[in-house]
Amino acid sequence: MTARAGDALPAGAPVVIHESLQGKCAGFASRFAAFGADVGVSLGVFMLVLAAISFAATVLTGTDIAWRRGDTWVVVAYAVWGFVYFAYSWASSGRTAGMALFGVQVVRDDGTDVSGHRAVVRTLALPLSFLLLGLGFVGILLGDHRRALHDVIAGTAVIYSWDARAARLRFLSRQ
Amino acid sequence: MEGRLVPRSEAWAQAAVERAIELVVSALDVNELLDQVDLNEVLDRIDLNAVLDRIDLNDVVKRIDIDALVEQTDLGAAIARGASGAAADVLDVVRSQTVGLDEFIARWIGRLRRRPYTGPPGPLDRLRPGAGP
Repeated sequence: MTARAGDALPAGAPVVIHESLQGKCAGFASRFAAFGADVGVSLGVFMLVLAAISFAATVLTGTDIAWRRGDTWVVVAYAVWGFVYFAYSWASSGRTAGMALFGVQVVRDDGTDVSGHRAVVRTLALPLSFLLLGLGFVGILLGDHRRALHDVIAGTAVIYSWDARAARLRFLSRQ
Repeated sequence: MEGRLVPRSEAWAQAAVERAIELVVSALDVNELLDQVDLNEVLDRIDLNAVLDRIDLNDVVKRIDIDALVEQTDLGAAIARGASGAAADVLDVVRSQTVGLDEFIARWIGRLRRRPYTGPPGPLDRLRPGAGP
């Protein structure tokens, strides 16, 4: 047992974790919180870009561009952007903005950095985990190494990259 | 009769010796004694490498209570200075709370599966240090 949630702690204190979690397989909450943050970031950036294009069109041509969520090309553009966002992030550093925030990282199943090829495969396989009524994510809850379907397909794993032990020492040092 | 006398005489002898030692020790000036000892010469005679070879430093380090050390010494202040401020604090709290939630979920899954939860799984076999390529 490396972490004990629920110990009596002052408000805002981190959950007591007595051991570094680095390199251990990340859990369901961390992974989904990171994914939620990524959806927010990618959607926010996409909408900002649309707003910037709309503003530029208004200034340059004097015509307003009205974006509708149902427009096919808006959906396609968002899908392409989402693909670029996830694939590029995983290929370049193994983590997206949300994963960096929550201290998790994608690695190959041999522990090395994710290659561009695997990052692309993982990005393409990610929707499969959703399309199978979410069953693709069951492996995170029940699997021995917490791997989702897209992890198995791409030959990847998600690990904690955050040093919980160091965070605990930082917390103690401020007492 | 003889059995009683022997322990009694031994006790007297022991008491006499203890008293003598007390008198000698009280008469000793420890500072003067230390002044006569050349500690540098003593240290020169010690082979520190040989001493260190006999000590299992890993075992010593394992015995150190790092939490207490950080709380009670300037080491804590040094770590606090090294940490990068409020943003790092917020990140630590967010991440540790999320890990707590990970553990909570995993424990419940373990209960439902009737398999005791023993902590987050380690890396895959091939990820372990020292494993083959």
